[in-house]
Amino acid sequence: MSGILIDPGKCIACRACEVACEREHGRSFITVFEFETSAVPLNCRHCERAPCVEACPTGALFRDGDGAVLVDVKKCIGCNMCVLACPFGIPEIAGKIMVKCDLCPDRRAEGKLPLCVQTCPTGALTYEEPSEFSMSRRKAYAERLALRRAENAPGL
Amino acid sequence: MKVPVVCPYCGVGCRLYIERTPSGYRLEYADDIPGIPNENGRLCPKGNAVLDLLSKDRLRKPLKAKEEGKFVEVSWGEAIKEVAERLREIAKDDPRQLMFFGSAKTFNEPNYLIQKLARMLGTNNIDHCARLCHSSTVAGLKAVFGAGAMTNTYRDIEMADVIMIWGHNYAETHPVGFRYVIKAKERGAKVIVVDPRFTRTAWFSDLFLQLYPGTDIALANGIMHVIIKHGLYDREFVEKRTVGFSELKRTVEKYTPERVEEITGVPAELIEEAAVTFARAENAVITWAMGLTQSVHGYDNVRAVATLIAITGHIGRPGNGASPMRGQNNVQGACDLGVLPNVFPGYQAVTDPEKRRFFEEFWGAELSGEVGLTTIEATHEAEKGRVKAYYIMGENPAISEANSKRAIRALRKLEFLVVQDIFPTETARLADIVLPATSMLENEGSLTNTERRVQWSFKALNPPGEARPDWWIVSEIGKAIGFTGSGARGFNYRSPEEILREINACTPQYRGITPERLKENLAGIHWPCPSEDHPGTPLLYTERFLTPDGKAHLASVEHSGPAEIPDKDYPLILTTMRYVGHFHTLTMTGRSELLRKRWREPFLEVHPDDAERFKLKDGEWAVVETRRGRYPVRAKVTKAVKRGVVAIPWHWGANVLTNDAIDPVSKIPDTKACACRVRPVSEAEARKLLDELREMGVVA
Ligand code: SF4
Ligand code: SF4
Ligand code: SF4
Repeated sequence: MSGILIDPGKCIACRACEVACEREHGRSFITVFEFETSAVPLNCRHCERAPCVEACPTGALFRDGDGAVLVDVKKCIGCNMCVLACPFGIPEIAGKIMVKCDLCPDRRAEGKLPLCVQTCPTGALTYEEPSEFSMSRRKAYAERLALRRAENAPGL
Repeated sequence: MKVPVVCPYCGVGCRLYIERTPSGYRLEYADDIPGIPNENGRLCPKGNAVLDLLSKDRLRKPLKAKEEGKFVEVSWGEAIKEVAERLREIAKDDPRQLMFFGSAKTFNEPNYLIQKLARMLGTNNIDHCARLCHSSTVAGLKAVFGAGAMTNTYRDIEMADVIMIWGHNYAETHPVGFRYVIKAKERGAKVIVVDPRFTRTAWFSDLFLQLYPGTDIALANGIMHVIIKHGLYDREFVEKRTVGFSELKRTVEKYTPERVEEITGVPAELIEEAAVTFARAENAVITWAMGLTQSVHGYDNVRAVATLIAITGHIGRPGNGASPMRGQNNVQGACDLGVLPNVFPGYQAVTDPEKRRFFEEFWGAELSGEVGLTTIEATHEAEKGRVKAYYIMGENPAISEANSKRAIRALRKLEFLVVQDIFPTETARLADIVLPATSMLENEGSLTNTERRVQWSFKALNPPGEARPDWWIVSEIGKAIGFTGSGARGFNYRSPEEILREINACTPQYRGITPERLKENLAGIHWPCPSEDHPGTPLLYTERFLTPDGKAHLASVEHSGPAEIPDKDYPLILTTMRYVGHFHTLTMTGRSELLRKRWREPFLEVHPDDAERFKLKDGEWAVVETRRGRYPVRAKVTKAVKRGVVAIPWHWGANVLTNDAIDPVSKIPDTKACACRVRPVSEAEARKLLDELREMGVVA
């Protein structure tokens, strides 16, 4: 299942992801934290074994076909259990119910990328299978090593 | 229907779509257009907030001032008649009493028209904001390479092995362009950052050279010293394609890394390492921006950097070159089309009798061969009463000029001020006539990004009220003045396409860039494009430079400090900067709630040691003082700035502080370095001071 992968090593703290998400959803479900020498963007991880889903007493949290963790607003009672359970502090209670990143279902339905991923100028956010991601990383690293060898190889 | 437009902000020139929906308009990413500058349709926060330009307080009707700042609505007919009559009257006396400002924020077509209007009225007093950002690049690169533009494209940055980023917070000012740096880095490229501040760009550096503001020449000379001493320059290239090497060698001889360390504050070993890394690279580029250019020796700064590029042979091949990054989306186009006091469209000198004869024939008017005034010079002349009227299209000098209090004094002294804009700006407050223009999204035309890429932007929205396109306004005024000839000899235009065809006819670099081709090819065409069947030229100087002898003219320049250096009374150096979410003087981004709430206010960056020395506390109010003014701002204590240096974003009006001493050649002011002092103040006092400045009209 694809998810949003975050590479803080590429984030420039431009907050385009926040602006895009807020434009579409009325508030931003991704937060960019800026430090003196780097920045970390953070949104819902839509965890495989999601603690929020497990903690929800009313079963308001569910998964859609792509595996995104979503809230059924009719069932949510604003009890804060998900807030406590999430290791990343993602769920927020807005008014009386929980709100969080929904992985932009309308866009996914049209075959488009989630907004924050689509807009991110540097590619710090990607939407893909973690296994694809690790494979491409592995390959890039291997290529770099090979290139270094080739550069130093005499007679090539 | 999705309408393809170009982002109205920075010089990357990102594409996006505006789509009409039942409930209004929405933005969609241009991820299906191949070859655009923003690969896969990516946008920075400003690009994401473009629809906020529809904000409520847009100018909707022409206005006429009863007294300063008090306006009544008038009809277009009345407004145009008045502007035309006043301009004609003043021109009859002496056309040099008129000053025109073009705009790097509007299309090529209206820019072409406004310089045509100025020139047909008999004056070359025409300039625009490039004076304050890259005039030194234009002049400096012209001196060394023969032309003033970026020599390569974003693709070449992606292909480089070493990227040197000089006086340019690339990540923050051109976020989408910075993608190409990150992609290069992923491939293993090395990044060298030269900046007085540890910026977000510096986060990505392998080597960080933190110099004192205004010491760039010394650093460039130090780097060249090392390169020449170790024989790391490109001998063949230097021999075949450059002149002036022996003099250069003599000049940089005394710039040993040790001596340069003393001047710049950059450790000698770092200078050595940077020199070796840059010179040894197979492919390398240097990008720069305001940190290099906004200086009393900006022209020399640029020549020094261009010389460094030339002796290492890092030019004229893919993956190499000189990449000055333009701040506004059409700085390049406004320059190309002659919105400069010394050249006609296509950089054809007004002093060249042959070129002048061509345009006299083309426009059917007698033209002046005297180089006109630049923006800062016009301010000084207006102060003396020698310039009586300004026609300002899409500019906000009340906030953007260095030493802005003086600029305001000059604006107040004018007999007649016309401001054509989309929002009521600080400058418009002082106008006699305000003309409501359309934003880039409500209008169409061509514009030219940093890479010399000309793109067409289509009309996506309807303008508010009676706002009219810039090209329409200028041509109506031209006609009302009496320039009613046919074709190029008058101002009878029905569309921007018609104007672009006229541009094709008189601007050699744009000859083949026709409206038809641009509309078909959304990725655009790079100039020079000499004919309709020419594909455009992404990479310059592959065989020869544009200097008369075809060679690069290496410059031997000596270090000299900024116009003002710290002393007992003003012990710190002040430099200015920008925030990623804001643009220029906030006229556009300041109206976006999405942006305003994230980048709420300016902060003064101050090193912890200086904060302690001057008793400033993080988050509390301070007053910055220079010989020109006082400015209250909250302090941010950070090691991002060097000891002895403080930095402030200029969007909100920090130009009350900056120095308007100018570079003798390019006439760019010394905005990036001046002497200042700081002290803590109470919130009440700070607010009072801010109100005073606001009253004066010098802060947003
Ligand atoms: S858009 Fe990308 S680079 Fe910008 S803050 Fe978000 S994650 Fe970081
Ligand atoms: S995936 Fe969509 S909802 Fe989630 S943070 Fe990104 S833009 Fe916001
Ligand atoms: S990078 Fe520049 S052109 Fe692109 S979206 Fe941002 S402001 Fe607009």
